[in-house]
Amino acid sequence: MRLSKFAILMGLAASAWSGGARAAGDLLVAPTRVVLDGARGTEVILNNIDSVPATYRVSLELRRMDAQGNLDEITPENATPAEAQALNMITYAPRRVELAPNQPQSIRIGLRAPADLPDGEYRVHMLFRAIPDARPVTETEQVNNGLSIALTPIYGVTIPVIIRKGALKATAAIGDTRLVRTGDHVELAMSLAREGARSTFGRIRVLKPGKSEPAFEARGVAIYPEVTRRNISFPIDAATAAALAGPATIQYLEEPEAGGRMIAETQTVIK
Amino acid sequence: MNIRMMKAAVAGSVLALGLASGAAQAATADGTARATILTQVAVTNTSDLQFGTVAIGTGGGSVAVSTAGARTCATTLVCTGATTAANFNVSGATGMTVGISHPGSVTLTDGSGNNMTATIASSASSLVLAGSDSFRVGGSLNVGATQVAGAYAGTFTVTVNYQ
Repeated sequence: MRLSKFAILMGLAASAWSGGARAAGDLLVAPTRVVLDGARGTEVILNNIDSVPATYRVSLELRRMDAQGNLDEITPENATPAEAQALNMITYAPRRVELAPNQPQSIRIGLRAPADLPDGEYRVHMLFRAIPDARPVTETEQVNNGLSIALTPIYGVTIPVIIRKGALKATAAIGDTRLVRTGDHVELAMSLAREGARSTFGRIRVLKPGKSEPAFEARGVAIYPEVTRRNISFPIDAATAAALAGPATIQYLEEPEAGGRMIAETQTVIK
Repeated sequence: MNIRMMKAAVAGSVLALGLASGAAQAATADGTARATILTQVAVTNTSDLQFGTVAIGTGGGSVAVSTAGARTCATTLVCTGATTAANFNVSGATGMTVGISHPGSVTLTDGSGNNMTATIASSASSLVLAGSDSFRVGGSLNVGATQVAGAYAGTFTVTVNYQ
């Protein structure tokens, strides 16, 4: 049984990298979010889904959410005391792994919090990415009186690692839901307000009267404590836009595994 | 089966389930091992950002490759060869919202102290995953009027950010 499941993984991973012969570095990361609210640590799985061996580096970085929901990287010199504290509290290993194709590796994450740590939410972002092979410029690329250009992408994934201490509360509100049309392009836009000592995280759902299935749903939407309001917009197709227009209920819900609690709900007419 | 192999097998089954269902966390049982299905993400790079070959003509200028892969070549330059935008496929749980970040510009060097800069642009700054999602990265290369001929190399970083 176990063997057959392993075989399924091999099959799926094979289809994932059959798209092209490329420089090494394709990767799979699971889970995509980590919350530590006790002394216990956890594990994140990193898998090489490329067709060739690759070396991956795991690191921690600081990112701050802006009013548009972008996660901007912050250098350690510009860290707030709480951000610097977050970097110091997280332990993780290994930090550099060489993986054969389809070889998973678990990265252990631990928490070393000082006893007098003030209540609050602390956060870092864990970055997984491959270290590229030096790509030699071959002779065929040399051109007389010309330039040959090799730009190698270094690509990866970041996931938030969140530490919570104490009984932290937050509330949120949804406002200004509307359709924004720019030429042929339509976006569902809204503004999310947040108050309290912690972030909110969940799914945005739009329900239409008389329909049990949501007309629109987007998961994995966070509002982090550094912002009290964020604008969010989702590109949608014309059919979805037509279905959304008119009276609607908009909900912001926690993910089911976090309890599925309603964070915010509003009724509006989408125009 | 030693401990290490056992762990690998469990991780394998966890990922297999995650891939097959694309589901969020849930619990299941697998013989003696309890497994949790994890939300996962995979990022694959399927094409490079290629500017083709540039011959220096009457002066400097820029060579741009759009996120669709189309080239715009300054009249002062002679551009040949195939151009492509870099393409990245992102697969993860359906409906998840992810951000995409990259630097605004990068420096290329020929290893002998000669540099060029390129600006970098992405086709999307965020995606709501729908099953087969991708984004493309294009750029604009600034060739100096007295740019020394040679092979220039550089790197650019792209990250898919979960909230």
